[in-house]
Amino acid sequence: MELGLTDTAVISPQDPTLLIGSSLQATCSVHGDPPGATAEGLYWTLNGRRLPRELSRALNASTLALVLANLNGSRQQSGDNLVCHARDGSILAGSCLYVGLPPEKPFNISCWSKNMKDLTCRWTPGAHGETFLHTNYSLKYKLRWYGQDNTCEEYHTLTSPCSTPAVTTDPPPDVHVSRVGGLEDQLSVRWVSPPALKDFLFQAKYQIRYRVEDSVDWKVVDDVSNQTSCRLAGLKPGTVYFVQGWVAQVVDDVSNQTSCRLAGLKPGTVYFVQVRCNPFGIYGSKKAGIWSEWSHPTAASTPRSERSGPGGGACEPRGGEPSSGPVRRELKQFLGWLKKHAYCSNLSFRLYDQWRAWMQKSHKTRHQVLPDKL
Amino acid sequence: MLACLCTVLWHLPAVPALNRTGDPGPGPSIQKTYDLTRYLEHQLRSLAGTYLNYLGPPFNEPDFNPPRLGAETLPRATVNLEVWRSLNDKLRLTQNYEAYSHLLCYLRGLNRQAATAELRRSLAHFCTSLQGLLGSIAGVMAALGSPLPQPLPGTEPTWAPGPAHSDFLQKMDDFWLLKELQTWLWRSAKDFNRLKKKIQPPAAAVTLHLEAHGF
Repeated sequence: MELGLTDTAVISPQDPTLLIGSSLQATCSVHGDPPGATAEGLYWTLNGRRLPRELSRALNASTLALVLANLNGSRQQSGDNLVCHARDGSILAGSCLYVGLPPEKPFNISCWSKNMKDLTCRWTPGAHGETFLHTNYSLKYKLRWYGQDNTCEEYHTLTSPCSTPAVTTDPPPDVHVSRVGGLEDQLSVRWVSPPALKDFLFQAKYQIRYRVEDSVDWKVVDDVSNQTSCRLAGLKPGTVYFVQGWVAQVVDDVSNQTSCRLAGLKPGTVYFVQVRCNPFGIYGSKKAGIWSEWSHPTAASTPRSERSGPGGGACEPRGGEPSSGPVRRELKQFLGWLKKHAYCSNLSFRLYDQWRAWMQKSHKTRHQVLPDKL
Repeated sequence: MLACLCTVLWHLPAVPALNRTGDPGPGPSIQKTYDLTRYLEHQLRSLAGTYLNYLGPPFNEPDFNPPRLGAETLPRATVNLEVWRSLNDKLRLTQNYEAYSHLLCYLRGLNRQAATAELRRSLAHFCTSLQGLLGSIAGVMAALGSPLPQPLPGTEPTWAPGPAHSDFLQKMDDFWLLKELQTWLWRSAKDFNRLKKKIQPPAAAVTLHLEAHGF
């Protein structure tokens, strides 16, 4: 009959975690089954290798002690195998030693939520160095209102998202850009806040950036919190700008639209505008939320200036400027269509919008044509 | 100690219907099952090698033979030769089916704890193949008109949180799981070879290799 391992001997400590270079004192206690079993003849092995006798000594009749100094890092991730053997070599007890170094702190932690229900977090593990051991990552989160620590349940990989209930937003679905009367250097941007945010009390961070069509350098307008408009100044007339903005809903705003007036733009220029949201002040906190994705781009053009430009033909496409293919092509098509269907001198942004709406396949875009009430 | 959530296996989906027209009999599916056991044997060799290296010496040393404790609940492949010879077909198949059901369940538990991605991949792959073997055995049983073993109420293996299990004891359990799996696959090859001989007329001579394996 086999002797049960747990009946005959036990090693202490059981499965310890230790620092590289530290010492370990272990004991193997024989329980006396059959009664009278002694520590005599017992010996230790570590990872299959018998340890030198001078490292162990009998503490009493039934206990053999071991001292291991200056431990090396674990040979395998499952831990080093420290085994206590009977005189005949059979295994009496075992303990797994985990010898390593503590891992470094993870960094670049970022979290976001798109629907106010799920939170996804991502982080970069700290430099491994050589820990010798497996590293566990756990994500803890706390809801401000509830105030207690919760641990993330679902991990996909070590560096990857973890889903728990929780906050950003989708970008605004409808962004409209229109002219400000006949002002040749201004545009007004309006949008509707994402429907998901309608029920939540929060304020909005607000930021706009724009660039010339053929440049990659964005100009950023300073944060204007709590306001509903902004102006872009110092723009070059007759230039195409790409404008992207941050938008969010203001708590005390009656309508659920918000707007921004871009000023200082170039006359007779097509601008592309995108908007995104960053809810802040959510649940009463002062912290900003996570920026949403950019909205689908919307375009608009500033009225052509009367004093600038060669010739009066506002319909003439500007030639010779290096620009992105699709923008240019689209403009050419538009102006060609205009020549056929409208007087160029009556060119208004509304027509452009109408054309764009007509061009686009989706029904939704029809509603993007705004009356010019500014 | 080695307890396991196995309910899913007992509700294995219905055995795929056999082609009734020109039914070739259970012969082809017995051959297929035999082939599967050989394939799994081969797969296990590499999986066990990797896993035992992960456990570290002395587990990966040849002829390592630790006490078998928690592994008491593992289905044992080793059986008296006369008993084995006298098994009727239904019992022979049932024993195989029940054994692999248990073993698959334990393997899945192993997979959950495995620390490296490589091990998890190998284990998952093996579990899938083992699931295939179970299905194949079920097919043979259906062809021979044997019903699939149903769990008796109360004997259905369910997971129960056992006493605190030390890591070293767990390593020994893992060792015996792999060992028993190896023995079962070796035995199954014999089982299906024997079944093949019985089903097919003696015109096809089948040689049986009985190696000395502590049987």
